[in-house]
Amino acid sequence: MLVLGIETSCDETSAALVADGETILSSIIATQLDLLRKYGGVVPEIAARRHTELIGYVIKEALDTAGKTLDDIESVAVTSKQGLIGCLLVGVAAAKSISYAKQIPLIGVHHIEGHIFANRLSHPDLPVPHVCLTVSGGHTMLLYVENDCKYELLGTTLDDAAGEAFDKIAKFLGLDFPGGPVIDKLATKGGIKAFSFPRPMIRSKTLDFSFSGLKTSVINMFKDRVARNEALPLADIAASFQEAVADVLVGKTMRAAEERGVAAVSVTGGVSANSRIREVFRETCRRKNIDVFFPKLSLCTDNAAMIAAAGYARMKMGEVSDLRLNVFPNVPLEG
Amino acid sequence: MMVLGIDTSGYANAVGLVDDEKVLADSTYAAKTDSLEQIVANIDSTLKSAGLALKDVGGIGVGLGPGSWTGIRVGVTVGKILAFSTGKPVAGVPTLQALAYGARHESSLICAVISVGTGDAVYAALYRPENNAVRRIGEYYVGDVKGLTALLTGPAVLVGNGSQAYTRIVKQESGMNIKAVEATPGGAAVACLAEQRLELGEKDDVLSLTPLYLKESTAKAFVNKYKSSHT
Ligand SMILES: [Zn+2]
Repeated sequence: MLVLGIETSCDETSAALVADGETILSSIIATQLDLLRKYGGVVPEIAARRHTELIGYVIKEALDTAGKTLDDIESVAVTSKQGLIGCLLVGVAAAKSISYAKQIPLIGVHHIEGHIFANRLSHPDLPVPHVCLTVSGGHTMLLYVENDCKYELLGTTLDDAAGEAFDKIAKFLGLDFPGGPVIDKLATKGGIKAFSFPRPMIRSKTLDFSFSGLKTSVINMFKDRVARNEALPLADIAASFQEAVADVLVGKTMRAAEERGVAAVSVTGGVSANSRIREVFRETCRRKNIDVFFPKLSLCTDNAAMIAAAGYARMKMGEVSDLRLNVFPNVPLEG
Repeated sequence: MMVLGIDTSGYANAVGLVDDEKVLADSTYAAKTDSLEQIVANIDSTLKSAGLALKDVGGIGVGLGPGSWTGIRVGVTVGKILAFSTGKPVAGVPTLQALAYGARHESSLICAVISVGTGDAVYAALYRPENNAVRRIGEYYVGDVKGLTALLTGPAVLVGNGSQAYTRIVKQESGMNIKAVEATPGGAAVACLAEQRLELGEKDDVLSLTPLYLKESTAKAFVNKYKSSHT
C-alpha cells in the first residue's frame, strides 16, 4: 500500500511517500530554519503561515521525486495530535482535502508515534518488546513498546525537554540556533570532565526527567566566571553540559530496560542525532549486553516518512479517521 | 462554468455553488472554533444537496480573508489542495470583496467591514457597484473603527457582521449618512466572483496561493520595528 505522509506539527513542512510502511520512495522536508534563526526559536503564527505557503509545493515534490501522481496514492496519513495547533491544522486540512478528492482513506497519527516508527523504518528487525526513549526540542519520554502501536508511558520530563535545554544553553552562550547540532560540534573540541554539572534526578526512583536545574547550573557557573573575569572555555562548557544530558538520558533508559527486563532499547527524535549521546548509549549498552537502535540521521528530526509508516501500521489494524478529523495539540499517546 | 466557493474566514463555514452566475446552493454552517473539523463535510453536504459531486465542479473559489488567521488558513489550504488533487483551476477572492458583492444592488458606495477580533479594530475596504460586480476604490484599511470616517467621503452602506454597531460609531464621529447592512461573506458570492475571474482566464497558481492576512503577526511586526529603530 502506497501511503502519502504529511507532517506540519512544528517547524518542518514535510511530505513523504512510503510503500507498505517500510520503503521510503521520497521524503521531502522544507525546513523553516532561516526563520528560526532570525527569531531565535519557533514563533507559532509565523510557522503556520509558512506551512500554508509551502504545503502544496512539498506534496508535489514528494510525488515528483517518487515518480508518482496522486492517483497512485492509496491512503493519506497526517500528524493530527501533539504539536502547535495552528501548524497541525494546515497539514490536516491538506490531508483531508486529498482524502476527499481522491476517495482514499485518511488516518490521523500521533506525532510521538511517528518518532517511534522512525526506528521501525530504519530497522525492520527492531525487536518487541523494547524500551524507547524519544527525545527532541519538544518532548522527552520513556516508553515501553509492547508491540507496534501498543505503548506504556514510563516517564517524561517534568520541565524542559532535553532538546530545549540544548537550545537554551546555546542561546545563552551566544551560539547559533538550533542548539543541538552546534553544541554537538563544539563539544568535540572540549573536555567532558572540564566542569562537573549536576545530573538531575539520575538517582531518583521514578523514570521522569528534569533539565531545568542543569540549565540553571550551567548559566550560574558562566555568570560567576564572568563576574570573576575568568576565561570562558565554550567548548569545555558545551562538552561537559552535553555529557551531563547524555548521562541522564542513558542512565534512565538503562534503568527502564532493567525494570522491564528487555534486551533492546531504541532512541529517537531530534536529540538522538547527537553523536556523543549515541556514543554513550553504544558504550553502555555494549557493557550491559543490550541492543540499541537509532534512526537514520535523516529520520531523527520531524519528517513525514515516519508519519506514513505509523499511519500504515494503524490502518493495518483497521483504524481510519473520517473527514471530521480534528487537531489535538496536547493529548497522550494511546494504545 | 460550475464553481464551488468556500470561505472560512469568520465564525462560519460558507459553501456555495454557482453555474453561469446562477446560484445552485448557498449554505452557511455554524463553525465557531471547528472550521477545520467541519469544512470538508460541509462541502460534501452542499454538493449532495444540489445532487452533485466534486467531479461535476469546473473550478474552485476560495475566500482569502482577511479574517480569523486560523480560519483563512483552513479555507485556503482546503481550496488549493482540492484544486491540486482534482486538477481543477482555483481563484482566490478577497473576503471583503465577497461581502461587498452581496450588497452590489445598492446605489451608493459599499464599505465592507470585518472585525479584526480585538477591541474595535476592523479590516475594511470601499467598493463601487458596477454592473453586477464591485470594484475596490483605494487601499485596504486596518485600524480602529473610528478611522473609517477617513475612508468614507459620502453616503455609503456599511456591510458586515456587526455593521449596526460600526455604523453607530461612524455616524457619531462624522454625522455622515451611513446605512448598515448586516451580512456575513457568502459561499455563493465567493463562487460568483471566482467564476468571473476564471472565465477571464485569471486562475491563481494552485501551489502558491496564500491568505490575505492584511496584518503581520505580532512577533514579526515587533522584530521589524526593532530592526528599523536600530539601523
Ligand atoms: Zn518531533
